[in-house]
Amino acid sequence: MVILQATKIYKTYGNKLNKTEVLSALDLEVNKGEFVSIMGASGSGKTTLLNVLSSIDRVSQGTISIEGQNINAMKEKQMAEFRKRHLGFIFQDYNLLDTLTVKENILLPLSVQKVAKKRANEMFHAVSEDLGIADIADKYPNEISGGQKQRTSAARAFIHDPSIIFADEPTGALDSKAASDLLNKLSDLNTKRNASIVMVTHDPLAASFSERVVFIKDGQIYTQLYKGEQTRTEFFNDIIKTQGVLGGVQHDS
Amino acid sequence: MTVNRLIFRNIKKNFKHYYVYIFALVFSVALYFSFMTLQFDPALDDTTGGVKGAAAIKTGSVLLIFIVSVFLVYANNLFIKRRSKEIGLFQLIGMTKGTVFHILSVENLVLYVGSLIVGIFLGFSMSRLLMMILFKVTGIQDVATLRFSSEAFVQTLVVFAAIYILILLMNAVFIRRQSILSLFRVATVTQQRLKKMTALQAILGVFGIGLILFGYYLSSQLFSGMFLGNQFFVVMIAILASVIIGTYLFYKGSVSFIFNIIRKRKNGYLNVNDVLSLSSIMFRMKSNSLLLMIITTLSALSIALLSLSYISYYSVEKMVEKNIPADFSILTEHGAEFVQALEKEGIANSYETIDLLNFQVDLSEVLSMSAEEGNSLFSFADTTMLVISDQVVEQLDVAETEVYLANQSDFLNNLMHIQEQGMIVFTGEEYVYKLAYKGMEDLTVLPARATGAFPVAIVDQSIYQQMLADKDVELSTEFSQYTGVTITNREDIERADTIFHALDIDIWAGNESKYEEKMIQKQGIGVIMFIVGFLGLAFLITSGCILYFKQMDESEDEKANYTILRKLGYTQTDLLKGVQHKQLFNFGIPLVVGLCHSYFAVKSGWFLFGTEMLTPMLIVMAIYTALYSIFGMLSVLNYKRVIKEAL
Repeated sequence: MVILQATKIYKTYGNKLNKTEVLSALDLEVNKGEFVSIMGASGSGKTTLLNVLSSIDRVSQGTISIEGQNINAMKEKQMAEFRKRHLGFIFQDYNLLDTLTVKENILLPLSVQKVAKKRANEMFHAVSEDLGIADIADKYPNEISGGQKQRTSAARAFIHDPSIIFADEPTGALDSKAASDLLNKLSDLNTKRNASIVMVTHDPLAASFSERVVFIKDGQIYTQLYKGEQTRTEFFNDIIKTQGVLGGVQHDS
Repeated sequence: MTVNRLIFRNIKKNFKHYYVYIFALVFSVALYFSFMTLQFDPALDDTTGGVKGAAAIKTGSVLLIFIVSVFLVYANNLFIKRRSKEIGLFQLIGMTKGTVFHILSVENLVLYVGSLIVGIFLGFSMSRLLMMILFKVTGIQDVATLRFSSEAFVQTLVVFAAIYILILLMNAVFIRRQSILSLFRVATVTQQRLKKMTALQAILGVFGIGLILFGYYLSSQLFSGMFLGNQFFVVMIAILASVIIGTYLFYKGSVSFIFNIIRKRKNGYLNVNDVLSLSSIMFRMKSNSLLLMIITTLSALSIALLSLSYISYYSVEKMVEKNIPADFSILTEHGAEFVQALEKEGIANSYETIDLLNFQVDLSEVLSMSAEEGNSLFSFADTTMLVISDQVVEQLDVAETEVYLANQSDFLNNLMHIQEQGMIVFTGEEYVYKLAYKGMEDLTVLPARATGAFPVAIVDQSIYQQMLADKDVELSTEFSQYTGVTITNREDIERADTIFHALDIDIWAGNESKYEEKMIQKQGIGVIMFIVGFLGLAFLITSGCILYFKQMDESEDEKANYTILRKLGYTQTDLLKGVQHKQLFNFGIPLVVGLCHSYFAVKSGWFLFGTEMLTPMLIVMAIYTALYSIFGMLSVLNYKRVIKEAL
């Protein structure tokens, strides 16, 4: 079942005279429960793609629908309503509120949906057990490590069981151990909760945890790799190879 | 590009960004200059001549310099914080700290000169308006003309040059202290390290509230007669100290303490109001406790002073009415002469003459101070008081064994305890008169000048005659006779007053004209009220601005939070609601604390100033609150813009 569908999306910046096309006629589909990575060089349009897919930015042309609803046609209020029910976010710099404790941060999406307090507590326990952050629930963000912060951020994304989670370079600020730890947790939750994940990354190792890698170049899909029955190492090697072709210097005459 | 061109460009480009700073400057200059213009205006001599108005204005101007300096230093700090990245960048590309300082100084100089010119122009126009208000409240019939005062101009220049140097010094220290790395971080690391509530903090929080309450308690006891003489001063200092320190601890600990309890009870489940107000205020109030303390204390001070001066102004008529019962009160033998003169001019009048009989008396059964043993200077058991016959008081018929008291004053009411009944014992040369006290009549029979603001006894005519014959000759008073003249037609008052002066009756001590007294009092209090009002307004605006600037700064810092929250699905309306909540606390807490402080301050000593407390005080508080909330609303508007831009 297709959960996210983008057809012929364009995104341009600037005015008529000085126009930059960041996305041009890009098509993308994400299935329910799928873990997709988006890779590409700096400036290839990865983050813009994620922004328009996640309704933070609007496309210039084309349609994006999540669970059959066209998000381009929505008003600001509807959009916010939609975001709070169906989407989850994980960011490179965690985006936790410094003035709130870990638990308060994680419970935010539930309070905005006005979930009953008791139910909220149960949900918090489930997700914090899964991510191993139950024991730091009452700490402030500046008292915990980067890995813990990112797991907090992940818990916040998962707690309200959204249909799709967008992750922007979630491992960008983590050391390699914390990174693989987080990715393991993410793919566990992905299977356990059957939530789709769209992750932007430039780290091949991070990408190798997903089921499909989409390579972007100059605002278009360059190629896609499926993991299929491969082991993670084999998939990783594939990704490296493709990245080499994609980013390599081309000697055309 | 030369340094000079860089400076020029900086100013041009930053002008929009730093309007806050420029506004602060222009406003301060205008305020100060208009105040100075008034001070040096010859027209003001008429109004200040009568009282110690000049001294009041001097004190006012010193206070004004203080307020303006605090305000400008705060604005400058904000200004430099916003530019810290730029300062770091200049150093990164190889400028010395000296060059950076030079750039900043010249920029500041240009801003200062520009603001001075605009501010002086504004201040000049403002002072004309102020002058008209002044004439209105003092009741002087004069046309507000203004001249450009060069003294005021020079004074303003000197003061602002001094502030400029102060700010330069602060900037120099700032640049010297900071490394390039920390400069880049000033803008980003604004949150101080958040820590959990410690037990110490909780104790401090409770202690702070305790201190404030203790101060309030002391203030309510201040005039109850518990403290006398030297103690009095010590207690005043103690009240001030405990309230001010209490306020500081209140912001430092109590606010976070209370909010923490509320937050604990939510068990991690916060709604948008809590997220934006509770958690943010909890930490920010703590770090700004000193600033908030100053703001609160000074607002309390200005509200209290405004209330007191308004109370005086409000009760001038009543006070004079109490002190001088008739239109003209003559205590010398010129009474008859004045009445004759009035008759000659055809001014209808009625008059009464009362012989003043001073008698030895024991009032200890009826009047007492609550701590009489501490007061050796004065005893109710052995004092003297004026006695009059019930014949001169139409409303009263006193039996032979009875005595009434009259001429009560609010001032004494607050210092003395008056018993319901008891015996009053008068001692004459030969006889002792033991009379039953029947009550305190709300009457003013004699002028305060004759009674010394002490009550007067009213006895039966026959007893009065006996006492008159039996009087102690050595106890004769300064005045022996009182003539109260009442003019029948109000329109004749001014003419009568002229006669009163023409006959030189007014040069004798004790002879008073109610009309003239009211004028003098109104003028004196009017000037003081005007100065206090001006300072109060100046303070209101500066403290409002400081809070507003603080909120502007905070909104920039919290922009990232709004981005997160909007991504999580909060709508702009949700966030705005939370922000309104936050403003309610941010502006409300200092205001409410300030109002409380001033209420207790006014309550402890208002009777020294007038006869009516509640109405004038509430009027002052309502106006203050209304003006103050304007800044809260401005702040909400600013947040609205920031939230809109956040996503």
